[in-house]
Amino acid sequence: MNNNWMRRQQLLGYIFIGPSMLGVLLFFLIPAVYSFGLMFTNYKFMNPNVEFVGLDNIVRLLHDPMFYLSLKNTVLFLLAVPFSIGLGFVVAVVLNQRIYLKKLLRGLYFMPYITSGVAVAFVWMLLFHPKQGPINGLLRSIGFDNPPGWLSTTTSSMFAIDIIWIWFLLGYNMIIYMAALQEVSPELLEAAKMDGAKRGQILRRIIWPLVSPTTFLLLITGLIMTIKTFGIIQAITQGGPGNSTTILSLYVYQNAFRYYDMGYASTISWALFIVILLITLVQWIGQKRWVHY
Amino acid sequence: MRRKRLFTSMVSLVLLMGILAGCTGNGNNGNASKPGEQTPSAGTGDPIKLKMWGGVPPESGPQGVIDAWNKEHPEIQVEYVRFVNDDEGNLKLDTAMMTGQNVDLFVNYTISQAGKRMESGLAADLSTFTDYNIDEKMGADAKSWQIDGKYYGIPTTKSPFFVALNKDALDAAGLKVPTDWTWDELREYAKKLKSGDGYGFIQHTEPFVDPIDSVLSQEGYTKADGNSNLNHPLVKKWLETLNTMMKEDQTTPPLGEQLTSKMPVEQEFLSGKVPMLNIGAWLLRSSNNFTDFPRDFKIAFAPVPRLVDSADDYVTRGGLGDYISINAKSKNQAAAWEFLKWYADGGMAPMAAGGRLPASKDADQKTALDSLLGDKSSTYDLDSLMYVMFENKTPTYVRSLAQEVMDVRAQEYEKYFLGSQSADDTIAAMVTRHNEYLKQNK
Repeated sequence: MNNNWMRRQQLLGYIFIGPSMLGVLLFFLIPAVYSFGLMFTNYKFMNPNVEFVGLDNIVRLLHDPMFYLSLKNTVLFLLAVPFSIGLGFVVAVVLNQRIYLKKLLRGLYFMPYITSGVAVAFVWMLLFHPKQGPINGLLRSIGFDNPPGWLSTTTSSMFAIDIIWIWFLLGYNMIIYMAALQEVSPELLEAAKMDGAKRGQILRRIIWPLVSPTTFLLLITGLIMTIKTFGIIQAITQGGPGNSTTILSLYVYQNAFRYYDMGYASTISWALFIVILLITLVQWIGQKRWVHY
Repeated sequence: MRRKRLFTSMVSLVLLMGILAGCTGNGNNGNASKPGEQTPSAGTGDPIKLKMWGGVPPESGPQGVIDAWNKEHPEIQVEYVRFVNDDEGNLKLDTAMMTGQNVDLFVNYTISQAGKRMESGLAADLSTFTDYNIDEKMGADAKSWQIDGKYYGIPTTKSPFFVALNKDALDAAGLKVPTDWTWDELREYAKKLKSGDGYGFIQHTEPFVDPIDSVLSQEGYTKADGNSNLNHPLVKKWLETLNTMMKEDQTTPPLGEQLTSKMPVEQEFLSGKVPMLNIGAWLLRSSNNFTDFPRDFKIAFAPVPRLVDSADDYVTRGGLGDYISINAKSKNQAAAWEFLKWYADGGMAPMAAGGRLPASKDADQKTALDSLLGDKSSTYDLDSLMYVMFENKTPTYVRSLAQEVMDVRAQEYEKYFLGSQSADDTIAAMVTRHNEYLKQNK
């Protein structure tokens, strides 16, 4: 009887996850396997002649300077994540105190995260305008004669994108941290205070370790999300000027949907997958040192 | 209790499955009914339905064209579908054709796109239709649209590229409207026309790189030994001329600034801020629109300047455009052909309001010109307009370079104009990457 009930429960469980599994299968697993196969062909969209080319695409990838450049740009782009997490923590700590307009500020910081990416892109382009933009206007008025060109030079463009991305992720990081801060038990903080710990010490030695699982979560999800993003760059620079903001995901997109070179695009996206896998693995191993559950 | 819960969950599951099945079912039905819907149409007198895909917004002409056709031809009804002529839009069109959705006619805007569609068997070979001589109707310029010696579409419009000039500003500076000039002469014009912090000359990014193509379309993109010809001396001359204009003369915006601010060049020109604009016929779409672009000066037109010394060696971009193909998979090719002939021979007149003049010699140019200028003809310098549209006898070329190479080139020259690499390094990088591409696509 009990066994029978268990079995029925299991069956029911499978039925419930059925539809979503179907979705995952159709829209994720099968395409993933398919793209793995494409990696070994010269398939171009619309071109009926498909040949098996063995490892040609992989050899090409390893000799492709654009691949290494976009890898480097991806790493530069990823720098935004730890910065945004750090900033999110600071903002969350500040907003967690009794200050005026707390709710309004909280809402304001979260706004970017729920705002349309393309609209955001255009606003930032105006802000960053090298000549008429308010950012450089401000810099000039406080004495910088040669403010950076932001998006308009090949050396600064990736950092300008980073700034936008930090700003974009900030609200989300802050909200998650605020939730984590609520979990920190007041007894611990009071005890520390009784023992004469200063505010900085409490923050560093008690609060920061206690929220470390949250930091870990934000780091992993943030890095994965960032590495997959290309919309914001496509909207702002299309990988330019030159190729200074071409990141891996954008390079995949260009090869697939601009040049219709599906075989090569599949190869790059599998390389991208390996990068994500490596980053996640390194973090899993590294977490033992600094994450306290 | 438990049983009841199980029952409700089963019911909701069945409902869900029903919805899913319903969706797929509809899809199937839709597919199945397509051939069925068309076969009887020929026999029973139901109108044949054609779908034409083009990149021009319907209100800028296409709607007027098909309304006129549909009124005259109740037996063939055409519907216009707009795709945006960019990567996503062309992908949408290609996907629609590959998956067998109803696309009967489609407009190609570059020959490399037309070529891809031809290779995958989507563009019908028009030499099977013998009652329309494309060469005779469209003139010598049509030849550049042939793929492997055949037409897979009809180039329908005159597609001139030109430098639009603020006639009032030119008059004030005592400058003539040129009918043949070099980049060095343009540079002088820009210097004289520049006032204060403003610019003397701006360019739309689409024809930006044309001077190089003008040279290489004649000399060849590759050398005799099969290597890249992007290190042709005139490429360097082009780079340096523009760079001087950007940095030293400051008569044209630095490319970095133009790109990252997505400078609205039509707006800059039509508001009178910048007196010279390198652009194509689509400027007319904006310059006829006084609501969004009010303007108080006359526009004159000059041909695009040349890099080569001798005017006899010069070819300019332009000639014909809007290469309309018939989908080789369409079941209504004969009907599509009827429509296409009518369109090319003057049916397209309403398109002229957006700057698209019919190329066919049988089209009524006067009607088209009226529609082109509307009630604004007094705001154009008609002599120079006629010159760049009709009278200029400079031979033309159509851009045929692969997108990959266009991008490689653009990435490298952007780095140069942004000051992060020298002209020689730029050319070397272009050549290396072009050669790499050639090796990849042998």
